[in-house]
Amino acid sequence: MNDFAKKLFQDSKLAKETIPVVVSSRIRLARNLADFKFVKYACKGDLHTVAEKCEKVLASCPIFTKSTILNMGDLLDYEKLALVERHLCSQEFIMDTNESKLFFTDDHLTSIMINEEDHLRMQVFRPDLNFKTMFDKINAIDDHVSENLNIAFDNRYGFLTACPTNVGTGMRASVMLHLPALVITKQIGNLILAVQKLGFVVRGLFGEGSEAQGNFFQISNQQTLGFSEVDILSRLTQIIRSIIEYELNAREIVKKERIIWLYDNIGRALGILRGCYCLTSIDAINCLSLMMLAVDLGYLPNTLRGDLHQVMMKIQSSHIQVLENKVLNSSERDVKRAELLREFFVTVPNLKFD
Amino acid sequence: MEKCQFCGKPATVHMTQVINNKTTVIRMCNECAAKHGLFDKEGLPFAMLSGLGEALFSGMKQSLSANGLICSKCGCTPMSFKETGRLGCPNCYKDLKLLIDGIIESSQKGTIHKGKYSKEGTLTATMDPTNSFTDTSIQKPIRKPSTEEKLNELQEMLDAAVKAEQYEEAARLRDEIKILKGSGGIS
Ligand SMILES: [Zn+2]
Ligand SMILES: [Zn+2]
Repeated sequence: MNDFAKKLFQDSKLAKETIPVVVSSRIRLARNLADFKFVKYACKGDLHTVAEKCEKVLASCPIFTKSTILNMGDLLDYEKLALVERHLCSQEFIMDTNESKLFFTDDHLTSIMINEEDHLRMQVFRPDLNFKTMFDKINAIDDHVSENLNIAFDNRYGFLTACPTNVGTGMRASVMLHLPALVITKQIGNLILAVQKLGFVVRGLFGEGSEAQGNFFQISNQQTLGFSEVDILSRLTQIIRSIIEYELNAREIVKKERIIWLYDNIGRALGILRGCYCLTSIDAINCLSLMMLAVDLGYLPNTLRGDLHQVMMKIQSSHIQVLENKVLNSSERDVKRAELLREFFVTVPNLKFD
Repeated sequence: MEKCQFCGKPATVHMTQVINNKTTVIRMCNECAAKHGLFDKEGLPFAMLSGLGEALFSGMKQSLSANGLICSKCGCTPMSFKETGRLGCPNCYKDLKLLIDGIIESSQKGTIHKGKYSKEGTLTATMDPTNSFTDTSIQKPIRKPSTEEKLNELQEMLDAAVKAEQYEEAARLRDEIKILKGSGGIS
């Protein structure tokens, strides 16, 4: 493994400590330096100065004592994409890597993008639902940043961002949920509408093809102006708690009314994972989603939970290329993906249906 | 089958946004959704991608009266915002206020910042008692004034000092202003 691979694959706490239904949560803050143009309009020299100033301040922040800093321009395409797969940075961040840098801690729970569309995009993650802890953490980083840099702020508009849809708190909080039973029982559509009526955004694929997408949905706040951080986070927490409850109820319904269908689908998925020689990422995610459900329902040992998340990370297209240390086309990746999955699932015990 | 509203191919992604009780439905094909940052090329939803409305709605609605505005510090206009979906600099919020207020009205429910450092002072939590997020102790550190605010303040002090014929004080303030002006400013 090269250095980049080691940093990427170093144990992510995110995968180890997962709980049912909640895959991960995130808070992101957008900040800009008051005395410079926003990234899209700034000249190279300005971006360079911004990056230098930010790097200096962040390096002195205690949370980054054990961390990595990357000059994005130095990375290969699949290395950049692997960082997106690991949600350490955004898709937009890797489109233009001119003078952009990425900080992330060894535990992968904190990352900061310098010169994304805003000068600073700071994010913290957790494998569960605990916005209080996360907000305290990111707020402390933000305090450190605003004590040492002249941050663009206006009394009426709050934190000034390159896009007015982020202005105010500059905060976007999101939770990734695994909702297989709501998809199976076809309640997901109504639920999404209900959540959207509350002013929150659901991203996920539905209509046809939704079941092929691994049943993962991300819920985040849409509004950033006119509400305090605490208000936004507590409303989101409430919404997520009710969705978790709906999902758990739906699982009971599935167990009661469609048990053979459930056994059949989980059993086949494990069969595929143990016997495949060529598997697309969508098929793999779909099968892995069923394995996660099997763990949640007690058909597979609880100790597998973290491993499943790690496998799911590892079989993503760019992760495979980082692991192999070369560019692979999609059929080569499908073969390697199948190999990784077979290796892992051979060691997984047989399903114990009740 | 419904069609992608960007390119006309069959739509696989449907999104609904509700802003101020107005519902907008967006239909997209996988490629266009990927282009708008909704998920990566192979459709893996596992990667958490940045905010939704950002890419899609910025600049779609804007009041016509905003035409003719230009930011004195960066040259950004409503037209350039429409093209890039992004503002040029913090000063755009002053000089393009009409445009900004229009966008805010169509994308945000609130109009005044109520979060960190806001005038309302300490953040208060208003949530149900069963929620563990009942923190009201988020500290409100004193915000460091911006260079511009500091300059204005110093200029006022200087004017007052000159008026009061306190020339030594005035000279000191003038030096301070000079130093501050040299340290920042949009280039
Ligand atoms: Zn399209
Ligand atoms: Zn401007």
